[in-house]
Parts: sequence; structure tokens; C-alpha cells
Amino acid sequence: MKLHRITYFLFTLCLLACNKEKQPISVERSDYHAAMDVLTEVMIHDIFSPPVASRIYVYPNIAAYETLNSNPKNSTYHSLTGQLTNFEALHLVPNSSEVNYNLAALIAYLDVAKELVFSGEMILHYRDSLYTNWEKINKSEFEYSKDYGLEVSKQVIDWMQKDAYAETRTMQDYNIFNNTPSAWKPTPPAYMKGIEPNWNKLRPFTLDSASQFQPQAHPEFSMKLESLFYKELISVYNEVNRIREHGNESEEIAIARFWDCNPFVSVNKGHFMFAEKKITPGAHWVGICKIAANLTEADLRKTVFAHTKTSIAIADAFISCWDEKYRSNLVRPETLIVEFIDPDWTPILQTPPFPEYTSGHSVVSSAAAEVLTDIFGDKFTFLDNTELPYGLPVREFESFEHAASEAAISRMYGGIHYQSAVYEGKIQGVAIGKWVNNQLEFIKKNNHL
Amino acid sequence: MRFINTTFAFLILIGCTPDAIKKEKPYFLLNELQTEQTGIDFQNLVFEDEEHSIINYIYYYNGAGVATGDINGDGLPDLFFVANSGENKLYVNEGNFKFKDVSEQAQITGNSSWQTGVSMVDINQDGLLDIYVCAVSGLLDFKGHNELYINNGDGTFTESAKAYGLAIEAYSTQAYFFDYDKDGDLDVYIVNHAVHTNLSHGKASLREKRVDFVGDMLLRNDDGYFNDVSEEANIYGGINGYGLSATLADFNNDGWDDIYVCNDFHEDDYYYINNQDGTFTESLNESFSTISRFSMGSDAADINGDGFQDLISLDMLPEEEYLLKSTEGDDAMFNMQAHLKKMGYKDQYSRNMLQINRNGEFFTEEALLQEIADTDWSWAALFADFNNDMHQDLFISNGIYRRPNSLDFKKYVSSAFRGKSEAEGLKWLYNSIDKMPSGNVANKIYKGNSVNFLDKTGNWISNQPKLSNGAVYVDLDLDGDLDLVTNNFNETASVYENTSTESGNYLDLKLNYLSSNRNAIGAKAMVYSQEKTQLKQLFTARGFLSSVEAKLHFGLGNTTADSLQIIWPNNERQVVLNPELNTTLEIDYKSTGEMYASTDEKRDTNLIFKETNAIAYTHQEDDYNDFAEEKLIPYKVSTLGPALAIGDITANGFVDVLIGNAAGKPAELYLNSGTKFTKSNQYVFTEDSHFEDNAAVFIDIDQDGDLDLYLASGANKNARYLADRLYINHQGVFDKTENLIPENSAITSSLIAYDYDQDGDDDLFVGNYATQGNFGETPISYILINHGDGSFSKDPNFKLQSRVTDAKWIDLNSDGIKDLVVTTEWDRPYLFLNNQGQLTAVEIPEQLNGLWQTLAFFDVDTDGQKDIVLGNYGLNTKFNLNFDDSLLMYHSDFDNNGVEETVLAYNHNGSYYPLNTKDELAGQMNVISKRFKDHNSMAGQLVEDVLTKEAIQKAKVYRVDVLASGYLKNNNGTFSSFIPLDKEFQLAPINTISEIKLNSTNQLLFGGNSYKMNTYHGAYNSLKGLLLKNDKEFDLLSEFGLKPLHEQVKHLQVIPMKNENILLILSNNQALKTYSFK
Repeated sequence: MKLHRITYFLFTLCLLACNKEKQPISVERSDYHAAMDVLTEVMIHDIFSPPVASRIYVYPNIAAYETLNSNPKNSTYHSLTGQLTNFEALHLVPNSSEVNYNLAALIAYLDVAKELVFSGEMILHYRDSLYTNWEKINKSEFEYSKDYGLEVSKQVIDWMQKDAYAETRTMQDYNIFNNTPSAWKPTPPAYMKGIEPNWNKLRPFTLDSASQFQPQAHPEFSMKLESLFYKELISVYNEVNRIREHGNESEEIAIARFWDCNPFVSVNKGHFMFAEKKITPGAHWVGICKIAANLTEADLRKTVFAHTKTSIAIADAFISCWDEKYRSNLVRPETLIVEFIDPDWTPILQTPPFPEYTSGHSVVSSAAAEVLTDIFGDKFTFLDNTELPYGLPVREFESFEHAASEAAISRMYGGIHYQSAVYEGKIQGVAIGKWVNNQLEFIKKNNHL
Repeated sequence: MRFINTTFAFLILIGCTPDAIKKEKPYFLLNELQTEQTGIDFQNLVFEDEEHSIINYIYYYNGAGVATGDINGDGLPDLFFVANSGENKLYVNEGNFKFKDVSEQAQITGNSSWQTGVSMVDINQDGLLDIYVCAVSGLLDFKGHNELYINNGDGTFTESAKAYGLAIEAYSTQAYFFDYDKDGDLDVYIVNHAVHTNLSHGKASLREKRVDFVGDMLLRNDDGYFNDVSEEANIYGGINGYGLSATLADFNNDGWDDIYVCNDFHEDDYYYINNQDGTFTESLNESFSTISRFSMGSDAADINGDGFQDLISLDMLPEEEYLLKSTEGDDAMFNMQAHLKKMGYKDQYSRNMLQINRNGEFFTEEALLQEIADTDWSWAALFADFNNDMHQDLFISNGIYRRPNSLDFKKYVSSAFRGKSEAEGLKWLYNSIDKMPSGNVANKIYKGNSVNFLDKTGNWISNQPKLSNGAVYVDLDLDGDLDLVTNNFNETASVYENTSTESGNYLDLKLNYLSSNRNAIGAKAMVYSQEKTQLKQLFTARGFLSSVEAKLHFGLGNTTADSLQIIWPNNERQVVLNPELNTTLEIDYKSTGEMYASTDEKRDTNLIFKETNAIAYTHQEDDYNDFAEEKLIPYKVSTLGPALAIGDITANGFVDVLIGNAAGKPAELYLNSGTKFTKSNQYVFTEDSHFEDNAAVFIDIDQDGDLDLYLASGANKNARYLADRLYINHQGVFDKTENLIPENSAITSSLIAYDYDQDGDDDLFVGNYATQGNFGETPISYILINHGDGSFSKDPNFKLQSRVTDAKWIDLNSDGIKDLVVTTEWDRPYLFLNNQGQLTAVEIPEQLNGLWQTLAFFDVDTDGQKDIVLGNYGLNTKFNLNFDDSLLMYHSDFDNNGVEETVLAYNHNGSYYPLNTKDELAGQMNVISKRFKDHNSMAGQLVEDVLTKEAIQKAKVYRVDVLASGYLKNNNGTFSSFIPLDKEFQLAPINTISEIKLNSTNQLLFGGNSYKMNTYHGAYNSLKGLLLKNDKEFDLLSEFGLKPLHEQVKHLQVIPMKNENILLILSNNQALKTYSFK
């Protein structure tokens, strides 16, 4: 529907323009966000795990950012080549002054995106409708920009394909036969295999290594009543029971559901068990970045910058977090509670299919919030409507940090994490966010936004 | 095409007029009659709405039953059809396939909201058949109870369930009437079913906690009133019992009737042995190794004529390639199965199971061998002799209105369910119900010959897809052959006339017993003819939701019956000599006082083996998971142990035993004094406990007169522990050596010592089986030449690149020097003639690539020459279902990411398809997800379309041409023909064959089974141990005192002791079993 309206608008524009001189093609923040929304839709359709989703968001952003800021007239932003691991200077010669860098950036974005998803044809379908219209508006500008954008995307894809993602597809699955009591076990109801056990083998963007921000160890596993671990376990049990007594309308349940972001939720209906599709934690923070860009009425360059930086922080946060998850390989509270405490117990949220420590949402949200605060400032009040399409209400936050803290604690309320995973996860995420802020130079020194 | 030919032939035979040709109707043995002819217009019409569909009730498409019996005493069987939610119908048989609808007058249309199974039974023993209809009550808004229609004898019935205590309010599927306590009257077992709840996935022990509505019930008839005795009789009634059918039979021939209950989903089936004291003992695990997962209908009959009733349970494995890849199958169950095992459930597999009864002690499953495992969504199974040739045939009703396990439907649902509340979601789901693919499937029929079943679908019965649920066989026109009736879902019920005109003799039995059980429910009859003894037991509720007449039908082919023996429900026997044939014999009970006893005398004298505890040892595998390392491999390569070596270490005249352990446990050495074994602790073994010991051999390496030890290693999490090891014996203490043997990091299967170069010291064949982490990479096996000084080097003139499983040095050409025979997987057996250390390969027949596991040298065909006996995977594996040509394995880096994969392809009707599903392939190769967006687009695609032609052309290909175990016949030193062994030897992979001398005759012991397979296969464990004298004389080892071998047997080893012999049965991940014999 929306597309049709754009088409009609562009078509009318073209009619008006045809007799006159050719109009430049306009690509602004809303166009960029529209493309991001398409990518999110395709990711939900294809069902990607949270770590894989973080990778799918980041590379198209980098391609768009590099295209946009390779404009010799750009004096605001630094290229990320030489700043991100193994990302070497691109060989770019714009073949015409007619290149529209905004347009080329969007073209590069879509071209990289289609490589990353399974249902690439959904992106191609969207791209083709845009191409048709751009061609009508200004064929030569479009052609030059397309060639340029695709040249950037080709080089970004080359670099992307060397990040060990392909290799990790063939690597070992998690071994469910590991009988160590503290070892993670698949959880109800679908008993899925552990997701992405080799994600720490991926090339990070800014980190020295996946283990650079290795958190301190979780409390030592023990089922002795006086142990710290057991205390944390029993507090998950008690806390969830307490929240349940308050009923579905309680603030804790509202918070837990709002931040669920689990694309693997299995729903049981009669004969059927199927995944209830949702966005990932990364996608939620991409949504928050969108909100911030809209609220500040950021121009395309700032929009792309904000998304690129945020998605880099999120991607590195996942690499760091998953490194710890399969290092500590800790069993989920649900497994222990059902086995030792209460066979009928279920958490409020469905336990996601990977080890417990540290909490992915805590790490990722904290890292994203650090970066967003750096870009948009502290005390940034916003209404978060990211989950509206998934049947959840709007929540208001006073700052990015406020949102991140709530995301972190939501995992406790949901009954899927121990306290340490949330606490240490936040520390880990903040450290990564700060590292990204310090490590990457986006804005050139003489420029202030 | 085939129909036309058949029709033509038939017409010529009977000299038909051209009028008949005009009909152009295909000829079937069971020919469906039209409503216009029969007057049977019953339809089980089921309507759906938001509150009533498969979304709210999992068994909404299970259909309803049919019952047959002579309601009005005119000698003709009448028909009763159950409607799930509509009106039941009763049709009176007016002869010549004409029926009259008497439902209105009879008042049997039913008052319950949802009706299911039906049994005709003379409940008040007034000589008039009554009707008991089961109902689901208390679920959704379903009201009512099981109803009992008492036959008033005037064409009307009166619902009287309450008066009999039978007004059960539960989720009932079917009632089974029988006299379990032998007090003379009929009791009843009622199968109720569970529904999904939060708790139904809990521990298996939930079955012990009785839950109303859901738990099965045993009701005892106390002077005409039925009392619930489930608890005291030890009947499970838990929240997890998804009972869909039961089968009654005296399975162990002890004269008391037992119960097999088919449970859907994860709950195990139940096998209740009658304790003869009013209680039962559930004994599934003791008697069954392999059971169906989604058990639906079932039936029992003695199909092989051994006097014991065999059992079939049905499941839902499709045969069609498209369906195999577009619906969820066992491959998705890996983690779930591991979880369920922890919860106490048995491993179950989604396929039909044909359980052959072995003397009432245990069952061996052989549906894969019979190729009756994959009949799709199957409900009723009925064994009956449809062509009167004295062999049981098999009918299976089929079809599901919509397939809820469609993978794309699941994905479709996922895409659209988000953002909706529970109520909205359910509503939406209901509105999308049409997106579920329909599942009409042809009913199947198989012709039996007491050994095998032959698919006659499309020949004996139409192969038109249908939705048939309840079914009965019955001779409707009293012409001596069995007709067939099915209750169809949303379609008119089917009546199939048995059109055989030249079929053999038959004998129908109508038995009249005491006034408390007039129809002799539970009686057995044995018909003795020259070729075969047939046994049948009279129970009416059979198949699925349905009940047959209280009569027994025997086909006799061209033979006559010498005699007939009736075993009445009180176990008195009555013999009729030369019974009249081709009629219904009515036999009245006469007390003879002669009790029937199934004798075990023969067996007692045969108990050669006595169980002992010579060595207390248990092999325990480590947690290495091959399928996590390489997701597409068909079976593990890490569970080849335990290793076994024997040799007289202490030189006391008795051989000692070394057992090599799995990773994490030290090898164990047991010294033999001649009367007992004592463990000898060896420090180096403890030090090397990280190694997985796959093969071991005692061999005097340093020529000092004592035996040293070579231990070969298997798969290991840590690559440091892949190397083979050599230990030198210093006065009984073993010391590890360094650098005396060449490095060997392959997974080794076999070590065979022999002085093949005849220089006075033992050399060693090292058989390598696999390369860890790269299943498709073939390792190299070699011979180590012993230099006589304790050092070895590889024979440069011999190397064998193959997956070696076993080898033996045997003298093939009688020149006094042993030659080398090697078995391999994905390759052929190799025979090498030894000419003074020069090994030359001998020709053997083409097309002998197999999954060979082991070999022996033995004169099987008693022609005076020893043959090469070869153990293969056998014919009772899932490979056998799609084996229209060689099985292929491609090996290549299909997704170009630097790691090689293997992909198996099987041949179905001449085309090659990938064995694995899209999700499995995509789990190893990301590119598959991009190539095929949904399951339907990959379903039915050839392997070359899935992997691309270019990729396949680049790949290395391995083949398996033969799965049968058999022998290479020795024809004066040439081995030019391969002869498969009997069916008994094909029931599972054969892992070990060893020679044993019993009663001064050399015989062969066979052990096998496999727990190595991935979830596509499941476990193969039907080879319970065999003893072979020759190709015509062989028997189960259990006949000689051995317990059936359910385990993955690795070694059968005879150890001579001072006064007796010990047989060691060493298996993977199991306790060692020992038996003594003289």
C-alpha cells in the first residue's frame, strides 16, 4: 500500500518533470528507513537467530555509510576503512559528476542486504520497483549512481565474505550429550539445538578478539542451598512466582514481554508447534535508533552514521556475548528448576535456545545505549513503539540507558536469566559501547554537528 | 495398462460377453460396490467451525468405526456405522449385497456429541448382539457418554449403558471385550486418549498417576455390572496416554489373554501380560525393542504359522518422496528424543512396526524388510486371508483430511501468528486451516505367503486416494471369501466385494460356548493341514475403532484340513477330525476336561548355555556426538568398541582377556586361571584411559616369548588421542613404547596378526575405518612387517584405501599359507591371495559394494568347501525402503566453504533423491536455504537439482549395491557367486560371526544390531543372536538358553576353560554377558 503511494507520487513527479529539465532523485532519511524496514520484514520471514540478525543489519549500513561519505565534497565523516578489522581502502573512481551519493548509498545498502538473507528475492522485488521509478525520474543520474553504489557494495561484500561466517556454517553443533550438571541443555518446549555455538569465530569489527571483554565468571555452579549460585537460582523461581501472583497486568510482566525479542518462541496449538515470529534484540535497538533519528530530524548522513555505529556496536556485542555463552556454557534456570525444584514450573518468557551466561539482551542493549547516547545525547526522552506491530504497547523512556536497564532486568522478570547474567552482561555491554565510541572515528575533527 | 491386461485375461478365462467389456471397470479382488447397488449411503460427515476443528481437538480427523454382526438372527452379517458428530446408521443385510437402512426404527443414531469406536457384543448373553459405541465426552463442549444399545430382538434397541456400569464419560476411542480373569463372563478394556497439556510432556512416570477422562480403563463384569478395576489390575491411566487402539491376544500362549495398547505421540505403547490372577504386568521393555512413535491402529495374527500371534502397529510414515520432504519426520526428533529418553520414554520411530512373536518371549520387528513400514497416514490394520490361500494378507486403511505436519504450513502459521492475542491467534489459525495440504491416500493391501508380504495395491484393491478410517472384513454374501467395509471421512462408506472365483478351500467357524460367553470370545482355533498349521483367536474389536464378526475364517488353498482343534476360553481343548470344508462349521462347546498346554519340553533339553558371571564388566561410551561434528552423516563412527584381545599372557595354558574401553576409561585385563578370571591392574592402561580402544591384539613383538599388546584407537574429542599404541609385556607388566609403530591417526577398526611373509614372526594387518571429522574421506589400511627386533614398517607393496570394518587371515586356496580377506563399507569385500608375502587381489562378482561389517570362513552350503560368510547391514533398515538401485554417497565441499560434506542419495523408482531433508541439508550447507525458500520447493527434487549438477559432477561418489548378508560360494577356490542368507539373517546389521563347536558340530554364531544410526533411521535391533549349522539349519540363540541380544553386539568369543567353555558376549555401551557351556 505504502509502496503504491510512493510509486504514484514518483510517477506524478516524473510526469511533471518530463517536459522540463531532469530532476535530481531525492533519497532521504525516510527512504533509508523504508529500506531498513523491508530488510527487517525479510529477516522475520526467514527467521534468523539474534547473532545472525546482527550481522545482517551491520554490513548494509557500512556499505551505505562508505558510499555516502566517499563523496569528495563530504567533509564531515571519516571512512571506516582502516578502522574496522581488515576493512581496507576501497578503490573508487566515480565515473561521473552525476553520481548522486544519497541514491548510490541506498543502492549499495540493498545490494549488500540481498546477499545476507535467504529470501533475497523479496529485497530484489522492492529494489526493482525503486529502480523503475528512479529510471523514470532521471535515467542517467540513476545509472551512474547505480554503477557507483554497486561498485562499493561489491567491495564491501568481498570483505564481508571473509568474516568466517561461511566457515562457521559447517562447524560442530552443540553436543547435547554433555552430561556435566552445569552444562546447558536444550529447553522446552521445542528442545532446539544450541544456536550459533561458533559465533566467537567470526571476525569482530572493532574488538581485538571475541574474548576482549570477557566478563568475570558467574557464581560457581552448585546446588548447595548456601551457595551463591543456588541463591540466584531460587530467586529466579521465587521472583517469577511472585510476579505470576500479580497477574498478567503487572508491570514486571509488561516489561518482560516488551523486551522478549525472541524469534524462536514456539507456540503449541493442538497438533501444532510452530515459531511465533518476533524481531531480535538487535532489531529492537535498530528501531530505537530510527526513533532517535526521526525525533532529531536527522539528515540522511547523520541517519546512516547513527545506524552504522549502533549496528557495529550490536554486532560486536553479540560476538563478545556468544563467546562467553559457549565458554561458560551455563544451564538455564528452567532446566534446573524443573528437575530439582518444581516439575511443573515454566518461566514467563520462553527460554531461548542457547546457554545462559551472560544475558544477550543485557550486553547488546547496554552497548547500543552507550553508542546512541554518544550520538544523540544523554536525557534523550522517547516513546518506544518498536514492538507495536507485534501486538505490544508503547513504552516511554527517559534515556537510552533507561531503556537498556529495563531490557536487562526484563530477563530476570521473564525467568530466563540469573541475576549475575544481567548484572555482568550490563558491565560487558557498557564496556563494548565505550570501546566502540573511543575506537572509531566517525566525525572529522573540524566538524561539529 | 496393467488393469487392461488383467481385465482382458480375465474376460478370456471366463468367456465373458461384450456387455461386460462396456463397463470398463478395472477388476480388483476387492471391488468397491456402488451405493445404488448396496443401498449403503452412510457418510461420516464432519463439519468444522472455530471451536471444532483439529486446532481445538487433535483427533478431529481420526474418523469413526464400523461393526459387523448378525443383529437380527437371519444368518447374514449386518453393518453398523458410527458417525463422529452425525447420526449412526444400522443396515440390515438382505443378501446379495443389498442392505436396508433400519437406523430410525432401531434408535441407535446416538446421543453423544462426538462418537468414535464401536463393538458388537452380546452383553446380556440373550443370544442377541448388542452394540457399544464409544464417545469423547468432557472435551470442548462434547456431551454424552459411551452408549450401550441393548438389542430388543424386535428391530429396536434400548440405550442402557448406565444399568451396566458402561456409561463411561471419557475421551474414549474403542472398547475391547474379553474375559481377562477367566471367570466365564466378558470384561472390557476401554482405550481412552489424552490431549496435549502442559504436563503431558512430563516424565514417563506420569502414566502411573491415573487421570479421569484420559486414562485407559479395565472394567470387570461382576454379575452383569461393570466395575472399574484399572488400579488394582495395574493398568496405567496417566495424562500422557494417547491411546488410539489396543489388540487382544494370548501372545505368550499361557492360556490367558494379554493386551497391547497403541499410544500416539511420545508415550510408549503398553504391553500388558496377564498375570493369571486378575492383574497385569506391563512388559513392553522386556519384550519389544522397537516400537512405532505415532501408534494408531493395530492387529494380531499368527502370520508365519509358528503358533504364536504376531502384531502390527501402524504409524504415518509416507512413501511418496514429495511427502517425505514436505512433512515433519523422525529427522527433526534428535534433541526431542534425547529429552524424552531422559524423561523415561522409550525410543520410538515413526513407521509401521511388524512384530514377529518369538515363542511368546519377545518380538522381532521387520516392517522395513517387508516394505510395509511406510503406508502413510494409516488407521486400521487387518490381517485376514482374502484369497483363501491359507496365508494371512494385510489390509491397511489410509488418509487424513488435512496434514497437520506439513512443514510449510508450520512456517506459514509462524509468519502470520505474530502480534495476535491467544484468542485472535486461534481464530486466525482456524481461518487458515485450508492452507493445510489434504492427505487422501489409497488404502493398501498386501498378499502374504507366511514369509513375506507383497504389495497388491492397485491390483487387489483400487489405488484411488481415499480417506478411510474404521474397517472390517466380513463375508457379507456368505460365498466363502472375506469382503471388506470401511467407514470413510466425509465420503460414503465403502463396501468391497471379494470377487475371487477360483480361490481355495475355506473353513468358517462359529463357536458356541457357555451361556456367559455364548460367542466364545477369546477362544482359539488351530486348523491343521499338510502344509501349515493356522492359529486364530476370536476377538471382535480389531484394527481401528471397529469390530468384526464373532467368527473365524480360515483359507486353505488347495489343501484340506486334517483336523481342527478348538481351545475354549477355559483352555479346554476339543478336536474335530476331518472337518467339513467350504462351509460355516458351527461347533458347540463340549467339556472334555482336557486342558490345552503349550509345551516347552523340547526347549528345556536345548538349553546348552547357562548364564554365568565370569567377568563383571560394563562398557560405557563417552559423550562424543558424531552428529554434532558432521550433521549429514548416516551413522556414527565413534562407537566401534569395545576392543577385545585374547592370548595366554601368563603362559598357564589358558587364554586371558583384554577388553579395550571407550574414551575416559582404562582398558581392562582379566587373567584366566582355568576356572576363573582375575582382573590385572595395569598402570599404563589407567594412564592411557583418554584413548578410545577400538581394536586390540596380543602379538609377540620383541620375540621374547611373551605376548605384547597393540591397541588401536577410535574417535576422540581430543586429536592427541587418535594414535595407536604398542605395549611391551615385561613379566606380566605392560609398558608403553614410543616410536616403534608408524603413526596412525585414522579411526581403526581391526588388527589381525599373522606371519604372512613366513619369516617366523607375526606381522599385522591394520584396518582403518574412517577419518575423524571427515566421514567421506577414505583412510588407508596397511600391513606392518615385523622386523623381529620389535620394530615395524609398512609393507610398501600393499595399501588399501577403503573403509575397513574387519579382516581375517584365512587359507583360501589350500596352499597352507593364509590369505587376507577384508570387509569394507561403501566398497566391496577384498580377497588377497598370499604368495610368500606378495598379496594379489582375487576377482569377485561385480556389484558387491556393501556396508560389510564382518566375515567368517565356513562351509555354509555343505559342499565340503569353506565359503566366505559376509555380514552386511541386512534388509531391515530404512535404506531398504528406497533401494531400487544402488545407494550413493557424494563427498565434496558442496558449499565451497573449505569443509567437505557427505550427502547420501537413494534410488526411488529409478531416480535419485537426497536422503536428508531441507532443514538437515541447510544445517550443514547454508546455500540450501537460499536455493529453496520453503520445504515444498525442495520436496520431490532430484539430488542433482538440490545440490546442482556441477557440484555432483565434481563430487566423489561411493556406492552400496547390496545390503543383504550372505556368502561368497567357494567353487574350488574361486568365489564367483554371492548368495544371500535367509531372512532371519537380514533383520539387522551383522557385526560379528564366530565359530563354535556344539554337540561336536562346528557352527556359526551371529551377533549384530546397530545403535549408531541417526534419527532418520533410529535403532536397528531385531537380530537377537543366531546359530547356524548350515544354510538350511539355523535357529535363534534364545532357543539354546541365551537371552535375546538387543544390544549392538561387537564380539562373540568362546574361551576354553578347564572343565567347560565360556561364551563372552561383548557389546557396545552394555554390560558384558557370559555363558558357560560344555
